Amino acid sequence: MYRFLFRTVYTARKSSVRIYEACVLPAKCDKAAVFRFANGGGVKALSTCSVRLCEKKDNVASSIEEEKTLAEKPVDPTETPTLVTQKAEDDSKVIQREEEPVVLKTEDEGTTQQQVDEKPVDPTETPTLVTQKAEDDSKVIQRQEEPVVLKTEDEGTTQQQVDVKTEQVEATPAEVKTVAAKSGKDSLLDILGGMKVAVTSKRKLRNLKAWQSEDSTSDSKPAAMESTISMFQKATEEASSQSETLDPQLVAAASAAASTLPESSQATSELLRQLRQQQTVTEAQKKGDMNILGDIIADMKVGKNPDRRQSTRPANQIQFDDDGPGYTHVKQINTEPYNPRKKKVYISGKRLNIFPRTTDKDGVESAVARPTLWDIVLANDLSLSTEQTHRNGLEEMIQWTKEGRMWQYPINNEAGLEEEASVPFHEHIFLEEHLQEGFPRQGPVRHFMELVVAGLSKNPYLAVQQKRDHISWFRDYFHQKEDVLKEAEVYLN
Amino acid sequence: MAAPGRHVGHYIQRNSRVLLNNFEQLLSHRNFGWTSALRQQAAEANKEPTDTIVIPRKKTWSKEAVLEALSSTVGRDPTAYPYNFQDDPFLSPRTVNEFKLYSLSKESGRSAAKFFINNNPKYFTTDFAEPHIPCLMPEMVSLLLEDVSEEALKERVRLRKVTAAVEMYDQLLQSGTAVSMETTYDLLDLICLYCDRDPVEEGGPQSEDMEEPGEEVRQGRGRPRRASDFMKFSWKENNNAERIFNLLPERDTRCYSALIRGMVKHGAHAKAFSIYTDLLNNRLTADVHIFNALLIAAPDLRDKYNERWDLLAELLNQMSQQKVQPNLSTFNSVLKALRRCGSLAKTQAIHTLNEMKAMGIAPSLASYDHILNAFSKAASSSGAVNTDILQEVMSELEGRSFTCQDPDDVLFFSTAMRICVNNKDLELGYRVYNLVEHGENWRLLGPLYQQSSFYRRFFNLLCMMEHIDVVLTWYRKLVPSLYYPNPQGLKDLLQALDTDSRLDLLPTIWKDICALGHDNKADLVEELLMLMARDKHSAEVQEAFAVCALDIKNMSEADRRKNPLEWSTTSLSNITSLQLRANKTQEAWETLKLFKSKNRVPKEPLLEDFLSVCCSDGSSQRAMELVQLSAAFCLSATPKLAKRTLAELDLTEEQRAVLSELESTGESSG
Repeated sequence: MYRFLFRTVYTARKSSVRIYEACVLPAKCDKAAVFRFANGGGVKALSTCSVRLCEKKDNVASSIEEEKTLAEKPVDPTETPTLVTQKAEDDSKVIQREEEPVVLKTEDEGTTQQQVDEKPVDPTETPTLVTQKAEDDSKVIQRQEEPVVLKTEDEGTTQQQVDVKTEQVEATPAEVKTVAAKSGKDSLLDILGGMKVAVTSKRKLRNLKAWQSEDSTSDSKPAAMESTISMFQKATEEASSQSETLDPQLVAAASAAASTLPESSQATSELLRQLRQQQTVTEAQKKGDMNILGDIIADMKVGKNPDRRQSTRPANQIQFDDDGPGYTHVKQINTEPYNPRKKKVYISGKRLNIFPRTTDKDGVESAVARPTLWDIVLANDLSLSTEQTHRNGLEEMIQWTKEGRMWQYPINNEAGLEEEASVPFHEHIFLEEHLQEGFPRQGPVRHFMELVVAGLSKNPYLAVQQKRDHISWFRDYFHQKEDVLKEAEVYLN
Repeated sequence: MAAPGRHVGHYIQRNSRVLLNNFEQLLSHRNFGWTSALRQQAAEANKEPTDTIVIPRKKTWSKEAVLEALSSTVGRDPTAYPYNFQDDPFLSPRTVNEFKLYSLSKESGRSAAKFFINNNPKYFTTDFAEPHIPCLMPEMVSLLLEDVSEEALKERVRLRKVTAAVEMYDQLLQSGTAVSMETTYDLLDLICLYCDRDPVEEGGPQSEDMEEPGEEVRQGRGRPRRASDFMKFSWKENNNAERIFNLLPERDTRCYSALIRGMVKHGAHAKAFSIYTDLLNNRLTADVHIFNALLIAAPDLRDKYNERWDLLAELLNQMSQQKVQPNLSTFNSVLKALRRCGSLAKTQAIHTLNEMKAMGIAPSLASYDHILNAFSKAASSSGAVNTDILQEVMSELEGRSFTCQDPDDVLFFSTAMRICVNNKDLELGYRVYNLVEHGENWRLLGPLYQQSSFYRRFFNLLCMMEHIDVVLTWYRKLVPSLYYPNPQGLKDLLQALDTDSRLDLLPTIWKDICALGHDNKADLVEELLMLMARDKHSAEVQEAFAVCALDIKNMSEADRRKNPLEWSTTSLSNITSLQLRANKTQEAWETLKLFKSKNRVPKEPLLEDFLSVCCSDGSSQRAMELVQLSAAFCLSATPKLAKRTLAELDLTEEQRAVLSELESTGESSG
C-alpha cells in the first residue's frame, strides 16, 4: 500500500503566490490510479498551468500537460519560500520552477511515479481523504497535512520527503484549528470581497507576521493566498531541517506518525476536524477560484526576476538571460513598468579594439618637451572659449589677482613676506654672531651692542639684511671713533 | 619620666593610628592611582594600534582662494543686468545685439589702449606701482635685434612676425650660417600655423591691417574667436613653409608634423595625406599630432560613408602599429569625423567612445557632443525621436565638473538642450540645466551665441511644457541677467500665458517687451493685442489692458520715425475695443480716427460695439459721428447703425434728418 501525497502548488497573481495545497491521495501503487487522481485533482491546475505554460511550451502535447499538472504539484517548497520572502512578485520564477518538474516529467515518468510512490501519508487521514475524494468528484482537495510534507526538488532528481515531527503534531492541533478558522475566514472574505484586488504587500506582510508568530510547524491550510504565504514561510523554516532529514527512515516514521503519538486518538480527531474544515474552505475557495481564474490569468504578469541568480536556474531558460540583446523580446514582455534607462544600453560594450591596452605612458615624454607654438595657440583658444563675463565683482577681482594687478587676499600669516619667505627665523633672532668681528669682547661697547642686538632680534619689521646693515653701521662707527675710545680707555680690539 | 613616657606612648599610639589611617588612605589612594594609571595605560595600549595619528597634509591655497570662496557665496544676481554693465545704467543692454555691442566696445577700448601702450613704450616708463605690476607695463612688441643672427630669428619667431622671420631665415641661409634644429622647428611651426602670413595683431587697429600688403581687412573686429580668422587663408602651393621644408637637409617627424598640421588647418587635406605618404616612404614614424590632423582631414578625401570610416580605421591601425599613443584630441577628431559618416556614425561612435575609455582617456564634453550629433542626425533622417542616448550621457555626466579640454567642448550644452527641445523632454532639460549650474560648468557654455541659444532653447522648452507659474519663475530668473528673449521667445511666453489662462499678466509682459526693445516688432505686438482683446475679463483687468493698449498706441505714435510700426486693421480694432471695454470712449474715438489716417477700414462688429457703448452712455453726438464715419468708409452696415441710433437715442431733429438720409441711402444702395 502506498500512499502518496500530492501537493499542488499554484502560482497565481503577480503579487502573491498561491498554493492549493496538497491533496493527499491514497491510491494503489498503479500508474493509472495516480494519473486518474492526478487528473482529478489537477483539473484546475491544468487549466491554469496550461495557459501559463503555453507561452513557452506550445508544442507540448496535452497528454504531457496532464503530466505537467501532476508534476507541478511537487513544486519545490524549498524554493517557493524564497519567492515569498521576495514578496512573491515574480511569477516568472515560479513558472520557471514549475517547468522544471515538467521537463523532468516528460523525460522520466517513472521517476515521478516513483517519487509519488515514496510519499507516505498519515494513515489516520486517509479515510477522510478518500471520502472527500468521492464527494468531490475530481476536484482539488486542498489540504495541508499535519505532518508537514515537504518536497525538495533538485535539478537532477526529484525527491520528495515527508518531514514528520511528531512532537509538532501533538503541539499543534489546537492552534491549527484556530489558525485555520481565522485564516480561512479572512482569506475567504478577501477572496470573495475583492477577487481582483491584488493583495497588497502590506497585507501580505501582516499575514506573514501573523503566521510567523504561530508555531511554525502548525501547518496551515492553504485556504487563501495569504495562508499560502505563511505556509511558505513555514516551509522555509522547515526546508533547512528537511535537507538533513530526508531519507526512507523518516518516511517510515511519517507513516507511523499518528500512532506514535501519546494521544493518538485525540490527535487523529483533531486532524480529521481540521481536514473537514479544510474541505469546506476548499470548496468555497474553489468556487471563488473558478470565478477568478480568468482574473488570475489576466492579472498574471510575467516579470523579469532581478534576483534570479539567487535561485537555481534551469538550463532551458535561456530566454531569461539578461545580457543578451537577442532576447529583448522576452524582456519586453517581462519588464513591468517601462524603464527608459534599462531599455537599451548604448554606452557600454564593444570597443574598436585597435589600440592595445597599455599602461606605460609613452606619450608622456613628448608632453614633457617644451610647448610648441601649436600648444600655446590651443591653450589660448581654450581659455578664450571658456572666457565668460564676470558674474560679480569678486570674480573680477579674481581676474585682477591672476593678472597681478591687485593686492592678494592673505591666505596665511606670511602674506606679503615674499622676500623674507626664504630666510629662516634664526637669522632674524640670533644676531650675536655678527658681533664676533669688529667689536670688543667685553666692555661698554660690547654691552651696548648686545643691547642693540637684543632689540633687533625682537623687531619684526626689519628684514635680515637691514638688521645686518644696522649692526655694521655701528661697527664702522666704533672703528671711526677708535681714537676717542682709546683715550677714554675703553678697550677695543 | 613614666608619665610623659606614657603620654608619649599614648600620643604615638594615637598618632600612629592616625598615621596608619592616613597610610591606608594614602595607600589605597595610591593603589587607586596605580590602577587608574594602569587602566589608562592598558587603554592606551589597546588604542594605540587602532588609531594612529594621521597628520593632515598641508593644504596649499591658491592666492585667489579667499576671493573664490567669497564669490561662491555671491554667485549671480538674477535681478540685475550682467555685472559688466552695472557701473553704467545707460549701458544696460536690452537685446543680444546691444549686449554684444557694449561688451565688444568695452573690450575694444581696452585693446586699443593696450595697443597704444605697447607701440609707444617710451611714454609709459613710469612705474607707480609698489610692488611692481608687470602687466601694467608695456610689452615688447617691436624688434630690437637688427643684425642677421639666429638670435634675431628667434626673436622674430617669438614675436610671431612671420614674414620678417622668413626673411631673416633666408638671409641666414645666404650668409651660410647654420640654423639650429630647434629654431627651424619653431619657424616651421610659426609659418604653418599662420599659413605664411603675419598673424593679426592682438588689439591692433584696422589701420594697421591696411598698411600690411596682402592683409585682408578684418571684419567683425573683436570677435570672440580670433582663431577662426586664420581659417580664411588657404594653403598655397609652394609657400614659404614648403620651400623651407624642402630646403632642409634632413627632415624628421617634427618637420613633417608642422607641415601636415598646417596643411590640414588651412584646408590642404589631400596634400597633407601625400606628405604623410612621403613621411612613410622616408621610413619615419608619425607622431600623434600628425594622426590627429589626418583624422580630421580624412572625411574630405573619400566620398562614401563606409570608405571614410575605412580610412579612419586604417589611420588608427597605423597609429597602433607605429606605437603612437592616442590622446583625447585623437578620439575627438575621430568622433568629429564620424559625424560625416552618416549611418555608420552611430555604432562606430559608441565603439570609439568605449575604446577611449578602455585606453583610460576620459572623454571630454566635445566627445559627447559629437556623439549626440551623430545620433540626432541619424534620428532625424529616420524620423525617430530618441533621447535615450542623451539620457545615458547625462547619467554619466551628472554631478561632474568639467574643464575645457577641447575647443568643441563649449558646444555640448547647446546641443544637449536642442535635443531636449526637439523631444519636448522637460525632465531631461532640467537635468542638463542642473549640470550647467553645477560648479563652474557654466563657463563651458561657450561664446555668446552658444550661450544665448542654450538659454533660448531652455526657455522655449519651459514655455512648451511647464506650468505657467514655473515658467514665470524661470523667466524672472533668466531674464535679463542671462537671457535676452527674442520676439519668438516672447511669443512662446505669451502662448504659455494663454494656455494656462493667465492673460491678466499681459501688461507686465508688455512692460518687459518694451524694456527688451521688442515693442517695434509688429507681429509680437499684434499677438499681444489679439490676446488681450480676445476675451472679456474682469473690470480691473480690462482697465489694465486699456492702459496697456493706450501705451502701445502712444508708443508707436511717438517715435514713428524710429520704428515704423505698421498698423493692421486687427490691431487697431483690438486697441479700440479694449478701450471701449474699459469705457474709455474718448480714447477709443481717437483710435477710431486713426483708421482713416492709416487707410484702414474698421470692421462692422467693432462699430456696433462702439454704438452700443454710445447708446448706453446716451451720447447722441458721438453716435452721430460714428454713423457718419461709417458712411465715410462706405460700410454696408451704415443703414443698420443709423437705424439703431434712431431707435435707441434721443436725437435732435437735425440729427434725425441726417441719419434717416444715411439710412435710406444705404438701403437704396444696398
